[in-house]
Amino acid sequence: MPQTNREIQELLIDYAGALRDGCMPDFLKSLTREEADKIASSAEFWQATEVTRILNSVGFADKAVTPDVGLFISRVNAAIACRLKKARASSPVKRNTDRSRGSKPTMQAQTWAEDLL
Amino acid sequence: MDKRLRNALKGLADPDLEHRRRAMEPFVRATFGIFIRCLYRYLGNEVECEDVLEDVYADIWQDPGHLRNVTDEKDLLRNVYLYYMRKHLREVYRRINRNSYLSQRDLMNLVAPDLSILEMMSQAELGQVLRRMLGRLKARERRAIELWMEGMSNRAIANELKTTVGAVKMLEFRTILKLKKMLSDCCRED
Repeated sequence: MPQTNREIQELLIDYAGALRDGCMPDFLKSLTREEADKIASSAEFWQATEVTRILNSVGFADKAVTPDVGLFISRVNAAIACRLKKARASSPVKRNTDRSRGSKPTMQAQTWAEDLL
Repeated sequence: MDKRLRNALKGLADPDLEHRRRAMEPFVRATFGIFIRCLYRYLGNEVECEDVLEDVYADIWQDPGHLRNVTDEKDLLRNVYLYYMRKHLREVYRRINRNSYLSQRDLMNLVAPDLSILEMMSQAELGQVLRRMLGRLKARERRAIELWMEGMSNRAIANELKTTVGAVKMLEFRTILKLKKMLSDCCRED
């Protein structure tokens, strides 16, 4: 059962743990209304979060298992291709501007003209 | 700035989308490590880092305007964080906010904060300064932080230090605040 009504030091340590373990959503969801108010009004908490992020970055960022760059580039290429496709699909369609065809009277117009005469 | 990175940035200045697309590969190769480490600081999760970074690179390809006047690696990281990463970091957590009691502003400050002087330092500089500051702490405080950075749980740290979990949490909190003060003083001196 999740601990409720945590003190500010417990909230900070839980935030640091969530950041370290990569489960921030769990921490955010675990907050009660009172705890959220405590966080909002605590200057110490906000000061400490900065150092927590630095500890996380210095302690764990280098150990993180990152994928092969070559594989990642193909993902980036696919994302770019998707955006290109979307951009092309949303751009206005070129109208047929063949003036020679447009200036010629149609058969129907010709018969109307003959009737009038 | 490293020559490889400078050349990669030049390629991004091309107005033609297709040329820019080809220039993305050297740019990704030159910056992937730097960017993923920066994102890891805020997410702590490799999978989410990759997802966000994929969109960040696509955004850079679409509009590289903010990287035009970049002079060094620090400047590049700052601009990429402020103009490209931050937006996506906010999107990651926007969905969760429906179930959270934190206000929108607090949530944003927690998951995608403004860059402080400390956070603008490079990874190597941060590591160096942090090691120096850890050396100035009391033995028990240093041990608690070092064990935490090794990935130990609070209960394991409490067993190691022969104390209670509550006392460990309080010790870590006080030590983190002490570190914050020491780091700020150090930055001011530098």
